[in-house]
Amino acid sequence: MQSWRRKSVWLALSASWLLLVLLGGFSLLRLALPPRPRPRAPQGWPRWLDADLLQSFSQPGELPEDAAQPPRAPHGGSCNWGSCFDTSKCRGDGLKVFVYPAAGPISETHRKILASIEDSRFHTFSPAGACLLLLLSLDAQTGECSSMPLQWNRGRNHLVLRLHPASCPRTFQLGQAMVAEASPTVDSFRAGFDVALPFLPEAHPLRGGAPGQLRQHSPQRGVALLALEEERGGWRTAGSNSSACPWDGRCEQDPGPGQTQRWEMLPNATFCLISGHRPQAASRFLQALQVLAALQEMSPAQVLALRQQTQFLWDAYFSSVEKVIHTTLEVIQDRIFGTSAHPSLLWNSPPGALLALSTFSTSPQDFPFYHLQQGSRPEGRFSALIWVGASGQPPLKLIQAVAGSQHCAQILVLWSNERPLPSRWTETAVPLTVIDGCRKVSDRFFPYSTIRTDAILSLDARSSLSTSEVDFAFVVWQSFPERMVGFLTSSHFWDEAHGGWGYTAERTNEFSMVLTMAAFYHRYYHTLFTHSLPKALRTLADEAPTCVDVLMNFLVAAVTKLPPIKVPYGKQRQEAAPLVPGGPDTGPKLQAPDPNCINQIAAAFGHMPLRSSRLRLDPVLFKDPVSVQRKKYRSLEKP
Amino acid sequence: MCASVKYNIRGPALIPRMKTKHRIYYITLFSIVLLGLIATGMFQFWPHSIESSNDWNVEKRSVRDVPVVRLPADSPIPERGDLSCRMHTCFDVYRCGFNPKNKIKVYIYALKKYVDDFGVPVSNTISREYNELLTAISDSDYYTDDISRACLFVPSIDVLNQNTLRIKETAQALAQLSRWDRGTNHLLFNMLPGGPPDYNTALDVPRDRALLAGGGFSTWTYRQGYDVSIPVYSPLSAEVDLPEKGPGPRRYFLLSSQVGLHPEYREDVEALQVKHGESVLVLDKCTNLSEGVLSVRKRCHKHQVFDYPQVLQEATFCVVLRGARLGQAVLSDVLQAGCVPVVIADSYILPFSEVLDWKRASVVVPEEKMSDVYSILQSIPQRQIEEMQRQARWFWEAYFQSIKAIALATLQIINDRIYPYAAISYEEWNDPPAVKWGSVSNPLFLPLIPPQSQGFTAIVLTYDRVESLFRVITEVSKVPSLSKLLVVWNNQNKNPPEDSLWPKIRVPLKVVRTAENKLSNRFFPYDEIETEAVLAIDDDIIMLTSDELQFGYEVWREFPDRLVGYPGRLHLWDHEMNKWKYESEWTNEVSMVLTGAAFYHKYFNYLYTYKMPGDIKNWVDAHMNCEDIAMNFLVANVTGKAVIKVTPRKKFKCPECTAIDGLSLDQTHMVERSECINKFASVFGTMPLKVVEHRADPVLYKDDFPEKLKSFPNIGSL
Repeated sequence: MQSWRRKSVWLALSASWLLLVLLGGFSLLRLALPPRPRPRAPQGWPRWLDADLLQSFSQPGELPEDAAQPPRAPHGGSCNWGSCFDTSKCRGDGLKVFVYPAAGPISETHRKILASIEDSRFHTFSPAGACLLLLLSLDAQTGECSSMPLQWNRGRNHLVLRLHPASCPRTFQLGQAMVAEASPTVDSFRAGFDVALPFLPEAHPLRGGAPGQLRQHSPQRGVALLALEEERGGWRTAGSNSSACPWDGRCEQDPGPGQTQRWEMLPNATFCLISGHRPQAASRFLQALQVLAALQEMSPAQVLALRQQTQFLWDAYFSSVEKVIHTTLEVIQDRIFGTSAHPSLLWNSPPGALLALSTFSTSPQDFPFYHLQQGSRPEGRFSALIWVGASGQPPLKLIQAVAGSQHCAQILVLWSNERPLPSRWTETAVPLTVIDGCRKVSDRFFPYSTIRTDAILSLDARSSLSTSEVDFAFVVWQSFPERMVGFLTSSHFWDEAHGGWGYTAERTNEFSMVLTMAAFYHRYYHTLFTHSLPKALRTLADEAPTCVDVLMNFLVAAVTKLPPIKVPYGKQRQEAAPLVPGGPDTGPKLQAPDPNCINQIAAAFGHMPLRSSRLRLDPVLFKDPVSVQRKKYRSLEKP
Repeated sequence: MCASVKYNIRGPALIPRMKTKHRIYYITLFSIVLLGLIATGMFQFWPHSIESSNDWNVEKRSVRDVPVVRLPADSPIPERGDLSCRMHTCFDVYRCGFNPKNKIKVYIYALKKYVDDFGVPVSNTISREYNELLTAISDSDYYTDDISRACLFVPSIDVLNQNTLRIKETAQALAQLSRWDRGTNHLLFNMLPGGPPDYNTALDVPRDRALLAGGGFSTWTYRQGYDVSIPVYSPLSAEVDLPEKGPGPRRYFLLSSQVGLHPEYREDVEALQVKHGESVLVLDKCTNLSEGVLSVRKRCHKHQVFDYPQVLQEATFCVVLRGARLGQAVLSDVLQAGCVPVVIADSYILPFSEVLDWKRASVVVPEEKMSDVYSILQSIPQRQIEEMQRQARWFWEAYFQSIKAIALATLQIINDRIYPYAAISYEEWNDPPAVKWGSVSNPLFLPLIPPQSQGFTAIVLTYDRVESLFRVITEVSKVPSLSKLLVVWNNQNKNPPEDSLWPKIRVPLKVVRTAENKLSNRFFPYDEIETEAVLAIDDDIIMLTSDELQFGYEVWREFPDRLVGYPGRLHLWDHEMNKWKYESEWTNEVSMVLTGAAFYHKYFNYLYTYKMPGDIKNWVDAHMNCEDIAMNFLVANVTGKAVIKVTPRKKFKCPECTAIDGLSLDQTHMVERSECINKFASVFGTMPLKVVEHRADPVLYKDDFPEKLKSFPNIGSL
């Protein structure tokens, strides 16, 4: 028993020792051998044991109780908006611009700039009433250098437009004047105060301007990826197959298989490399290859977006002298307006800030253009605006038909007629307001404050519509809130014989205008019509009332770049189409406006904005040989 | 295992039975062995832990134990900040060349304690916030511990608050950093610049070319496009939890909560209160607080005591006036409270103004106009105010609320400059999540009517119905605007017919063979597609007339961002089953078109193949069904627009397949299609399809007008 016990104890002991020796041996072994390099986890910033005990960078109380500072006087050397521009002069009318008359002979560009300002809503003839005084400076060609203007006042509230950089020695200090010039240098440019302009060539058109060259959204296959500007005016193209360079600048100096094209030939490439200074050709090629490598990393979606944005920017702000100058003034006006300036979205998406007036609203949802970006939807109601012209008959039947629409929110009757207002109107389910107009055709498109919905159904007292037609047209408008949706159409064409634009109201396979005597559109177009069109054009419409349709269609097409939309209209009435509003009561014949009108308007716009459409939007089951019971808009098909 | 249990059971019985002498002997022996074991164990693990603290477990150290660096009094000092520095002159982008995935790599220098010749520390070693900031960088994707591959270097020398450091010595400390090189590609963070009496608006420490992320820049010191303007962090952000308060009118219209305003400014704001009464509240320091109350968290108006920052939530607008410094921590508190900041600090560069659109979240008023503040604010429409309140809170949540948010936004801005083509967009920086979710940015946003001359490419997906395929080819080739025909041969077991057998047509005909019989092959962006317009057409669609197809193409030109197809379909919500249902009855509405024959932009092929959300693409290939519904979902989702159904066509009737048009098959078909809609809606997380009540017909369709004068007289029927 005893020996058994002893044996077992010894056994246990020796086992323990063995274990001890083994373990110890291993440890010694590990000390003797260098540690194996283990896979290195990145060494981050340490987690300090006493991180919680660290002091804050500012002691409580230090932040708010710093010694206060008195207001500072404007810094001597430089200017900013707050310190160097006096906005008090701009109260009331907003931005009013006075232009100093030119002293001597002026260049073509100079003349265009003057013209574009004088035609704008910003212009004033009185320097005293102006909030901005504009000085066109220093024309190199004429050799004339402007002298100090009369109202200079250290340059306060002045904008100096420099067409040619430093072409004249400075005869006076610019002081507090803002400078608008092409390619300002980063060192002299005062951000938020000066304005950077694009370079304006002599041949740049006054207004209108060529549309962008882009004919399709996405880049074509087989087109060079990059074109680089060359000395002596040419372009060299580099395809996507050119060898890409690593970013460390190690590139082969092989000019590659690119070909040089004439400067005038616009490069047929997706990207163009424009470099500020002109380095040696070789180094430029290296630069280009690096750029190429970077560009190849861009996704097709990015390229697509950039291409379209270039076209939008060109068309909205660059394509004519007028656009460049108006953009400059709009930028300054935004600074004056402060909180009611254009939000960024309005500047950077179609139709652009010149066509989306911030005086209308600063909320993008109020415009017809931004519902998608805002995730909003057009309102579900409309206001009918019925114009009562010469005939002077209260359009009772029309009122009933329109008021019967479930979407109708209100009816406004614009009484534009010598006869006294009738005292009694029919009972309607919706509120009816009578506006006593001032007998001008352009009144029809005045932004009346009584219009409380986004959608307007513009009608003439002699139009005739059924409730079904109104309902369907409105539902279509909700899908296209930026366009005009109308029942009767006409189209424009190029008249070779007369060398001008012509106009026809005959039924054809395509159309480019809808008649505003029965059309849905967004109320924003009233604001645009009244506040952005040159006064001359509105006068033209007042004098030749048949012109007003053309003018409105031009305006909307210039904004949307798209044709209007046609919806079905009762057959029998189409033949007996009512009169063009305002015209003399000469019988039931659609009267085409004077071709002069369309040509005058086209000249004032500087281009032809109208687009043609070859389709009509009908209800899904329109005139299908299926049971009438299935159809929602069945009365549209009644013979 | 069993043995040891036995031993344990028997053990206690063993020892008492032994003789006392032996027992002591054994116990001693046992203890020795045990001690030995313990010692070995310790030996086993002890050196290990010493070793590791040198190796990867560095973290568990105290800030007080960091190495000390002595700066001789005559060690070099960097040049003062170079005001003319720009990214292209002072920043070496080639150092970022090693950085993959358009992401800069940031190295952080190890923490050291700097002392002068007399052993006096140059500054506090590191503040809580700077430690947080470096931790945030270290935890981010920007971090690298490889100094040779870094593009940006962040010193661990804490210069957040200029008051706590010795300027000359700190500059010397910067200059001896191993990669300093005149400060090139070095980034310093500073929130409280300047010092009495004149409080410079940028850090006074000479720093040569180093970038400065500063809180309180003015237009005179800020190097546009080089420096980064950052917020002054408010420690209250972490201490106080202010739940988001919905936008809308609040008790006070305008509130001034800053203490220590210059008397001149205080007079101005008090004048506002006198003029506008109750709607303006001007607060100041409390003078009569009892002991123990934290004065930073209280504000007073006369004898009324308010909790700060909670009181900020009671006001619509909050004044943020310049103090000694331009940057004020109160801006952060104000944003947190969803109060619209009214910034009155001439020439102040607002935080992150390079990317953030402050017009959407604040009102900036020139100091000169202070007396007009009230009328300026009143002219802002209520809707815009509510937008601003929401925006203010969102800016705080995204870019102000923590040191981490500030650090990452700063690095992102620098990253955007170095990789401008991969930069974050304006919308991503500025749109609150709610807007990002609800809004759509149409990839084809430019209103453009592509020229007719370009024409379209027809893509016919086929398996083996050669006869029918040849008929389709012949029919489609009659369409005037067809510019190319592409046959996608989806049968791997059979070769396409010989060249000589194909119909002779006037446009190029290409056959593409696929590797696998998949439905998605129909929507692959083949290199052969050279036009923007694509007509997808099945190999059995022979009933469409040439007029109908030509008209379809012309409609597409007017709506190039939409799917333009013939038979329309509708999705409906089934209230009984609580799910979506597919509808092919003759309804007054459409939300989809069949892609058995449909025009669309080729960009959508790219989207379908490479950007289809979730597993939809594989799902479609596996089920051999619903590729058209998937395409409808995809296009509606990216454009936010409805399809255009053209002409009366309600279904594709193919003479050969009338036999299988049986009722039971029809029903399974409907169930399957409904399943697809439900599956896709759950993958998209929303129902993108838009319902419309219109279709497109030629202008004179069914009008009482001579048929021969119509452009598209031969429009087929149902």
